[in-house]
Amino acid sequence: MGHFIENPRSSCALGGALAFVSSIDRAIPVLHAGPGCGLQATAGQLGQSGGKSFGYVGGQGTPSTNMFEREIIFGGVERLRETIAGTLEIMDGDLIFVLTGCTADIIGDDVESVIEEFKAQGVNIVHTETAGFKGDSYYGYNAVVQSIADQLTEVVPKDAKLVNLFGIVPAQDIFWEGNFEEIIRILNKLGLKVNSFCKEQQGLKEIKNSAGAAINIMLSPWLGQEFLATYKEKYDIDTFRYPGLPVGPTATTDFIRKLAKQLGLDNVLVEKVIAEEENYVYSYLEKIIGSFTRYRFSIVGDTNTVLGLTRFLVNDFGRIPLVAVITDQVPEEHRNTIERELTSLEYARPPKVVFENDKWKISELIKEYKDDVAFILGSDYEKEIGKKLDALTVVVSFPTTEKLIINRGYAGYRGCLTFIEDLYDNN
Amino acid sequence: MSINLELATAGTRESRLGSITGYNGNLQDLVQQSHCGSLADRQRCFSQSSTCCSGCALGQLSGIRDVAIINHAPSGCTATAAGVDVLNAQLAVKRGVSNSTVYVGTDLNEQDTVFGAIGSLKEIVLETYRRYRPKAIFIGTSCVSGIIGEDVDSVVEELRNEVPVPVAAVHCEGFKTKIWASGFDASDHAILTSLVKPPKQKRNIINFKNFYESARDQIFELFANFGVEPLFLYQNSTVEELAGLSEALATVCICGTLGTYLGNGLEEKYGVPYVRTINPLGVVGFETWLREIGKVIGKEVEVEQYITKERAQYMSKIDEIKKELQGFRAVLGMGPGYTFEVARVLQELGIEVVWAAAWHYDKKHDNGQVPPALDHLLRNSPNNFKLSVADQQNYEILNILNTYKPDIYFSRHPGTTIWAIKQGVPALCVNDEYMIFGYKGTLNFAQSILDTIRNRSFEKNLAARTKLPYTDWWYQQDNAALLKEKK
Repeated sequence: MGHFIENPRSSCALGGALAFVSSIDRAIPVLHAGPGCGLQATAGQLGQSGGKSFGYVGGQGTPSTNMFEREIIFGGVERLRETIAGTLEIMDGDLIFVLTGCTADIIGDDVESVIEEFKAQGVNIVHTETAGFKGDSYYGYNAVVQSIADQLTEVVPKDAKLVNLFGIVPAQDIFWEGNFEEIIRILNKLGLKVNSFCKEQQGLKEIKNSAGAAINIMLSPWLGQEFLATYKEKYDIDTFRYPGLPVGPTATTDFIRKLAKQLGLDNVLVEKVIAEEENYVYSYLEKIIGSFTRYRFSIVGDTNTVLGLTRFLVNDFGRIPLVAVITDQVPEEHRNTIERELTSLEYARPPKVVFENDKWKISELIKEYKDDVAFILGSDYEKEIGKKLDALTVVVSFPTTEKLIINRGYAGYRGCLTFIEDLYDNN
Repeated sequence: MSINLELATAGTRESRLGSITGYNGNLQDLVQQSHCGSLADRQRCFSQSSTCCSGCALGQLSGIRDVAIINHAPSGCTATAAGVDVLNAQLAVKRGVSNSTVYVGTDLNEQDTVFGAIGSLKEIVLETYRRYRPKAIFIGTSCVSGIIGEDVDSVVEELRNEVPVPVAAVHCEGFKTKIWASGFDASDHAILTSLVKPPKQKRNIINFKNFYESARDQIFELFANFGVEPLFLYQNSTVEELAGLSEALATVCICGTLGTYLGNGLEEKYGVPYVRTINPLGVVGFETWLREIGKVIGKEVEVEQYITKERAQYMSKIDEIKKELQGFRAVLGMGPGYTFEVARVLQELGIEVVWAAAWHYDKKHDNGQVPPALDHLLRNSPNNFKLSVADQQNYEILNILNTYKPDIYFSRHPGTTIWAIKQGVPALCVNDEYMIFGYKGTLNFAQSILDTIRNRSFEKNLAARTKLPYTDWWYQQDNAALLKEKK
């Protein structure tokens, strides 16, 4: 049987790319795609990521060639040229991302030559192939950064205090804004400047600067292999890879120490920051001791969320994981790393680790532990099985249309407190 | 007649109804051109993201209880499944029923675009049936399945011998039509050709085509005065109920754009009268609609009694609030089933419509007539207001808002409301299709307008801090500047 997507847990390449580009300040996405792609991708990605909308340009405002029968039969290159020309007149921005959808990529429009024409006129413009049939939102995220590394950057002077931060995928991580803010706050406190491209109104300038960064921080065990290699090759930037989101004092301190070592940061400062931050968290943890019980849980979500929250619940909060289901399409070669990470914590007993994204199969897996499970961490989808098993279900992963998420996040020191609040705020 | 239930597809609105997405002019010109047949579509040399018919088609069908939707498409086209799940669950709880509908995608990937995936489509349908035992199965097509030439109709034929429930193809390739409402017709076509059975008896039921039955209780109460019951379509309806659509006394709808295919189809094939008046929004619309229903079901006296009673309760209050609304100026941007109806209601309330934009325009409905709202406006509108047809072209709307600086902007799609607010224009999203229904709805609506216009603090503060992505140059152009001349 072919792929059976029952209730997908990401949008397509175009959806992931559009959400990312929409979060870059003064960047204009131009879709060379079907008429519904912009809205489907916005509704399917941002719309299911905690009820927020796009930033500077997105949704109905996204320029699009809206390919109909005529373009599919006769080719859409002329329509694309016209749409980019119109964009330059009407839309006020610093750079253009042409994102191609399924239709354009199947009929094989020569997009590159159109892009070259505009580049020759001095327009900051890049092309990213983001046909939905090529992959999911993570594929789209990787593809956008790849085109940034390939097409938008060139050698700039090195800045030893500048880092690029990757791995938090906008609108795919439902807490992406809050997670970014906390990690950036911690890195700033260590004396580092952070390029995120999509927070603090960052845009073209930071994209250009990224070629001069001291290091690329990648908060994922598997994302970005290719674009990180490009940064290394073109600009000699090393990668500091941390497996998943650091959540809670143990992981965040571990993250800081390892990063500080690789960057050669001042140890006195590093330890001072760690002490302050840990004191802050534990000053609250000691006050909620009344709520502490050693509950068992099952967790469903993308790699970053599952790693981040499981590590915190186990290493810092003494909970017992039963089954950890990872829903993003992690390439085979990275699955061992993730499994190892998840089974080598401070365990009373390690969880069963499963890579699966079919809702029905996931529900069957959760059911296997129905006599033990006290709460389920997952997406909107897991509410159904949670209800059946009478287990508390907390939404921590994509997709969710039930929850409004503005700037809360679970990453870092402070995020773990927000997470505990959400854990106990069930209604 | 334009509806042909012998064909596999409903066809596009462009070919069936002469529908367009590009026009800029005024009310009189549009209606006159619709009548004399000279109305032609105008292209744009720049466009923003629109919507496709697939969302409308599968969105309608996925509200039916206990069915399976199988979207033969790449993953992104099925990405809104979570929203469907949540919506179905919430709306079922509200009704006190359960809905086990599943929404599945076939995740067409790069290999499939080369080798095809018709075999795996069939397996996925069979597996879905094994898992969930749905009461009907709808298979949607997509841009990709259309371009690579997947023969979905043949699979459907085969499956009909293998699963004991109705199976239908829903032809909704996004690139086939500029009119996303063609998707409503595709869903109706699937219902008419695969679920509806010939009548065995007449029942005291009125088919009520709507979106989310939010005024369900109110309409049950209303129709009880005339000894009939509404059957709301399609959200929360069952396969059994849909089989009996042919036995109803009449079909009515909340939105002419939504209802034309099913209403006319049921009338043509089974003689179920389709009530085609202006819509039951505002006082004039509600009374016109109700009187026509009374005529069709032979309850004119009861309808008049009801109208007299309700008028006594509401009209003085409506007249009172109208005084406060005089002189306000409005711009609207909605689907055509609402734009022209809401424009009429605004005029009833004493508000000046300065510009009405419709996301598409059907120059006739499936009965061959110009939509009733247009003829009504032509006869009754105090001004020949400006009018454009644009498939949610945001840049045109923001230009219009900047030029005409209305007191309020009305939309029905929340995304377009955001942009108006960012530009500092108070906006009211007529999201709930029953927001202006009947006397009570009209009164509430008038109050909401007043509330929106009188408290502009959010719009003012947000706009002062927001930079919109449009150039000054654009705001200085005519909003039709990028519309090409007719060919």
